[in-house]
Parts: sequence; structure tokens; C-alpha cells
Amino acid sequence: MKKKILYILLFALLAVMLILPEYIAKMPYILNVFILAFYMTTMSMAWNLLGGMTGQNSIGHACFMGIGAYTSAICIVNFGLNPWVSLPIAIIVTALITAVVFSQCFILRGPYFTLVTIAFAEAVRQIILNWDFAGKAIGIGLPYVRGNSWLMFSFRDRTIYYYVAFAMMIDVYLVMKYIDNSKLGFALKTIREDEDVAAAIGIRPLKYKVIAVVISASVSAIAGFFYACYYRYIDPNIMLQSSSVEIVLPAIIGGSAFVEGPLVGGILMVSLSEYLRNTFGGILPGINLILYAIVLIVVIRFRPTGILGFFDRRGRE
Amino acid sequence: MSNIIEVENISKSFEGLKAVSNVSFYVEEGKITGMIGPNGAGKSTTFNMICGYYPPTSGLIKYKGNDITGKRAYEFADMGIARTFQIMKPLGNLSVLDNVASSAFFGRHKAKNMRQAREIAAEILEFTGLISKRNVLAREMGTPDQKRLEMARALATKPDMLFLDEVMAGLNPTETEGAIDLIRRINSGGVTIFLIEHIMRAVVSLCEKVIVLHHGEKIAEGTPNQVMNDSYVMEVYLGDGGAN
Repeated sequence: MKKKILYILLFALLAVMLILPEYIAKMPYILNVFILAFYMTTMSMAWNLLGGMTGQNSIGHACFMGIGAYTSAICIVNFGLNPWVSLPIAIIVTALITAVVFSQCFILRGPYFTLVTIAFAEAVRQIILNWDFAGKAIGIGLPYVRGNSWLMFSFRDRTIYYYVAFAMMIDVYLVMKYIDNSKLGFALKTIREDEDVAAAIGIRPLKYKVIAVVISASVSAIAGFFYACYYRYIDPNIMLQSSSVEIVLPAIIGGSAFVEGPLVGGILMVSLSEYLRNTFGGILPGINLILYAIVLIVVIRFRPTGILGFFDRRGRE
Repeated sequence: MSNIIEVENISKSFEGLKAVSNVSFYVEEGKITGMIGPNGAGKSTTFNMICGYYPPTSGLIKYKGNDITGKRAYEFADMGIARTFQIMKPLGNLSVLDNVASSAFFGRHKAKNMRQAREIAAEILEFTGLISKRNVLAREMGTPDQKRLEMARALATKPDMLFLDEVMAGLNPTETEGAIDLIRRINSGGVTIFLIEHIMRAVVSLCEKVIVLHHGEKIAEGTPNQVMNDSYVMEVYLGDGGAN
């Protein structure tokens, strides 16, 4: 019975989200906040596969996204490829780079692994900053197209981006939900809890950790492609450390042990942050960041399992 | 009956400290073999070498006639070797059912999907007497149940050979009785068992053969009665007035 009500609520929410652009199409700011929230949530879900499910905390996810965004942009601008051809190239390049780098780094456990992700992200950012072909610090601007073009993935009508971002978020959620209940998900969760146990029951920790990071990076690359096509301009600052931390927060606040955690945290935190900036930014610049930090401290202090931890039933099925 | 495990002259040194030296023994298929010895005798080290957690410095380990000395820990489950850990390692944030389901996905059951894995897990929990706690989080259980969970998880890999590392430590006499009964039932299902145990009552009632280690060397081998009446064993292990 309770479940039925939940499904009806979810369905209603979905319907509201789908018809919402009709009403906010004239408010580009609000529309932008929604798109940003969907994008952040997608990134946070990608992080959560590695951080929440596998227990390998990365603070370098902005870099995976950045590699995806840069590969797409370079393919589109420098090589003149179609965005739809660039997307798979971006995914493959990101997946390959992470597979090669992280298969070597997973002998490091815990905080040492986290340090490597920071170093990796910073190294990639520095390479891009000094690479002529990738535009150095100036960045790359994507060509604008008149009107709406699915072929060039460029839309004047921003509501289309809204739907694309929304679909991206829902699809990534469904993939994560599927992984959570699959053999792969069990391998990852077992590794998170104890690597020795994982080995004892026949799970090769290294293999599954690499699979996790590759999937996580590939999803980030898709989000990066979307980012590049939406803002039509990227520069190396998208890979800053602070962006990586921002990606982690929604998952932690929503509840990293849950597939739904980043969804709840992402929608909540992005709207909260934007609301605070909008309301108080003019009076006291930076107040939004302070309040943001307070929310974070309160959640971590009183409910380390995240907001969804409140609703956790013992041994949920 | 043939020997399922043959250990030939294995040694292990940790930076000059010799933990185990030249230990050889075999485990007969279908039987329960025990290993005893005072604290620090090298039992757990021997155990971890056989299960692939530390490579031996020298020596040979054979399973069903094949050399498995250099194999890695994660390769053992597929060969039909399962183990428990002395310090319990429950997958704390997963339910008891999912703890075991994870083994059913891997190991030798290779469950195809979630439903099948959970069905196998439920069967194992029924067998080990944990079925009523299937929805409890593993970290919230007490020691006796966590020890049982260790065994359940190992069993869910469908092993031929089961290594038990002090599964009765910390149990009261009634719980020990229950564990002994469970080990017997596992063994009568055709699983060969090798166990390390300090509780002599359990060793005497379960094992057909006992190996005694002291200072990393094998000092005696035989039936529990033979071993306990061995004068050297009495001196080093049961000494001080023959406690236990």
C-alpha cells in the first residue's frame, strides 16, 4: 500500500518535471538552474558508482568530465566531426585513459587512492592549460547553429536542453539501479565492505575496481559532452578541484549508500545553492557558500548516511 | 580415500622472522582435519599460505594433485576452496541475505540473476540456521551469528574444501555445541574440512586427524587422543598442569 502511494507520487513528480518547461520557458534563469541540477546529479551518480558503491573515493571526477568535454570539443571544432560521432569518441578516449591510468593506481587503498585522483585531475588540467591544440587557458568555443538542430546538437530553444538533460539523468539512474541489483553491483559492494572477503569468494578486486572506474568515467564523459554542447564554451577551469568536490557533495548529502542518494542530494543542493546565491548574493556576496557549508556540516554531523539515511529500513530489500 | 590437500615443506619468513618452517602434511578427502597449537605457533600463517593470502617463501602446496602454490586468493573459490576469517569480516552494511547472495553470484554457483542468487542464499541460511535474521544488517549481529555468517558465506561458494579459522572462538558452550553440529552437517554433505581451533572439546569431538604446530614447526600428528597423550605436546601445549 505504502509502495503504491510512493509510485503514484513518483509518477506525478515525473509528469510535473515533463510539463514544467512549458511554464518556465520564459524564465531562462530558472531553466538553467534545472539543467544544471540535472547535469550535477548525473555527475554525482557517476561518482557514486565508484565512491558510494565501490568505496573508492575520487576527488577527480571533474577531470573525467573534462576529458569527455575536451575530446568532444576537439573533435567538433578541430576535426570538424559531427557531435554524434564525437560523443562515442569522447566516451572511448575517457574510458581508455582511465583504464590505463587507474589499473596501475588501484594497488593504493583508501586515502592514497583519493590522493591519486586529485593528482591525476590536476595533471590533466595542466596538460590542457599548456596545450596549444586544446586552446590553452583560452578554452574552446563550439560553433553556434541557427535555430534548433538535432544533427549539430545545438538548440536555440533551451527547453530542449532541459529534456535532454532530464533524459540523461533518468537513463543514468536506471543504469545505476540495474548495476545495483546485478552481479557487478554485488562484486562492487563486497569490495567496498572488505577486499579480503571479496577475494575469498572469488571476486578479483582489481578487475572490478577498473570496471567501476571505467563505467564511472564513461558516464562522466557523456555529461561532459552535454556540458560542452550546452554552454558551447569550455576552458580548463571546468576541471578545477572545487568542481570535483561539488560533484561529490550531492551523493554524500543525499546518501552515498543509495542509488537514489545523488538524485535527492543533487536536486536539493543545486536548487538551494542557486536560491541562496540569487537571494543573498546581492546583499552579502559569498553568503550562499557559507550557508551551503552549514547545510553540509549539519547533514554530516547528524546523519552521516545522508538524507536518505532517515528513511532507511533495516536490511532494505 | 585420496588426499585433497598436500602440503610439502612450506616455510614462511617475515623479514628474517621464521613464522613457519618446513611444515608438511596432507588432508584426506571427505574428512575433518584439525590444526592446533599455542598462540603464535604459525597456524594462521600456514592457513593463509594455503588459501593464497601470503605466498610461501618456499615449499609446495597441492590441491587435488595440482600445484596451487602461486595461485592468487581470488582464484581459489573457482577451484572449490572456501575459507572463513578468524577476525570476522561481515559485509557490515549489507543484509545477511545479501552477504551470502554475493557468494552465490561468484564462487561456483554463478547465479545468473538476483532472484537465483537470493534463492541459493536463503537455502544456505536455512541450513546454517540464520534464516530468521536474513534481513538484519550483518554488522548488527552478535559474535555467534557473525561466525555462522562466515561459514554460510564460505558455503555459498559451493566448495569441496572448506578452511575454518577459529570459528568457535568466543562462543559459549551451548553455541559451541551448535557450531560443532553445523560443521558435522557440512562435512556429511561431502565437504572436506580443515580447521584451526583452540577449543579442545570441539577438536576432539570433530577431528579424525590433528596436526600440532609449535614455533612454526609441526611437532605431532595423529588422532586427537594420540596427540593429546604425546609427551612433547603435553609439555609445550597442554603444559602448566594440563589445562583444558
